[in-house]
Amino acid sequence: MSMQIVIVGSGIAGITCAEELLKLRPDMEVRVLTQETRGYYSRPLLSNGFTRDNIESTIILRSFETLAKSGIKLEAGVNVTAVKRDARAVVYQRSGDECVLSYNKLVLAQGSAALIPPPFRSQEALFNVLNSLSDLILLRRRRTALREAGDTPRWAIIGGGLIGCEVASDLVKAGDRVTLFHALPRLMERQLVEEDSATLLQVLQDSGVKVLLNCAVQGIQKKDDCLAVLADGETYPDFHTIIVACGFKPRITLAQSAGITTQRGIVVDDFLTTSDTSICAAGDAAESANGKLYAYVTPVRSQGLWLAQYLAGRTSTPWQPPFFKPKAKVHGFNAAHPYLF
Amino acid sequence: MTDYKKYVCTICGHIYDEAEGDPENGVAPGTRWEDVPMEWVCPDCGASKLDFVLEEDISD
Ligand SMILES: Cc1cc2nc3c(=O)[nH]c(=O)nc-3n(C[C@H](O)[C@H](O)[C@H](O)COP(=O)(O)OP(=O)(O)OC[C@H]3O[C@@H](n4cnc5c(N)ncnc54)[C@H](O)[C@@H]3O)c2cc1C
Ligand SMILES: [Zn+2]
Repeated sequence: MSMQIVIVGSGIAGITCAEELLKLRPDMEVRVLTQETRGYYSRPLLSNGFTRDNIESTIILRSFETLAKSGIKLEAGVNVTAVKRDARAVVYQRSGDECVLSYNKLVLAQGSAALIPPPFRSQEALFNVLNSLSDLILLRRRRTALREAGDTPRWAIIGGGLIGCEVASDLVKAGDRVTLFHALPRLMERQLVEEDSATLLQVLQDSGVKVLLNCAVQGIQKKDDCLAVLADGETYPDFHTIIVACGFKPRITLAQSAGITTQRGIVVDDFLTTSDTSICAAGDAAESANGKLYAYVTPVRSQGLWLAQYLAGRTSTPWQPPFFKPKAKVHGFNAAHPYLF
Repeated sequence: MTDYKKYVCTICGHIYDEAEGDPENGVAPGTRWEDVPMEWVCPDCGASKLDFVLEEDISD
């Protein structure tokens, strides 16, 4: 029996690892299980997905058919629901059926979901997020419908972090009306120094985004046909769509239920190995021994490549974070100082 | 004769064409890949230079 490696997730971490493993060790059996159905796409391009007409096709880097042809055994549209560590097997749902797949090594590359702060959790029906290609397609359809009805779409973006600023910038550039709510006194305070936050504010305002700083949102409401945002005792009515962009949440539930050590992410050591030595984790889902989450494309891809080397038995030196430089894709904005990480 | 090469971002598919450079981000047309500074990032997705591969190396 050849060594069987099972990878959960088809984002940058999962696909990079699978493709590299296939190159290094064609003798190994590599299986990818993913909820995704639309192919392997470029997640960063989501935030500029409103100004590019053909994005729904150009965002796909490799279709699942192309990956299959290259030799990757991938099952799309399936949901891994449990890890049976004693049996070294994962349980997953495929259109209602329960399936079981055993592994010698398991890679959890489940990525992250949008973080939803408490005031919104009970109101799922009233807001959207922009975390996956399906999210983008839904939002694009809604825009098109409004425009076809002769309306200019009105958006509330909640959260002035990296993704909130990027999306606000792209929607306004696409010709829509955008209000950006941020609870803190300056934008992208976690990534930018004060001076750059001020420049970013100017760029967004000049482009036509209405930016409300120090404006903590307490809740959202349906009002007639539109949506209202309640913030600091005031009601901001008349939005067509509300996007919550308050950060990301590593998908840890699967690991947690299996008794694997988790904190904010799935905790891994310098060898991207979890508290179970047969199970590794990489990408947005993983939290490094130093407490860091390397949730940017360059380190995530580097983890995928390194993990393939490691699982192929080609390296015994720890993963080391590569040099990388985050960059906000806000039209017309360039930070003068390095980003904080 | 100069034979300019193209490099593809593995993260988003953006192409760095040596003939064109990336003047908006301070890389003059004609700049060879090896002369593009390490701090340069993909203008579309922020990926690093290391995330690019030579276009010929992509098969499908
Ligand atoms: C809008 C947006 C813009 C971004 N822009 C940038 C940028 O410009 N630069 C940058 O460096 N980073 C950016 N990022 C961050 C970057 O995209 C992520 O760090 C990276 O995509 C993480 O890859 P990943 O493989 O870890 O996870 P993901 O891409 O999240 O992939 C996880 C995969 O796991 C699957 N999965 C999860 N749970 C299960 C399960 N139980 N069963 C089956 N499948 C499962 C999911 O379906 C998905 O396919 C951006 C992120 C977003 C959302
Ligand atoms: Zn790119």
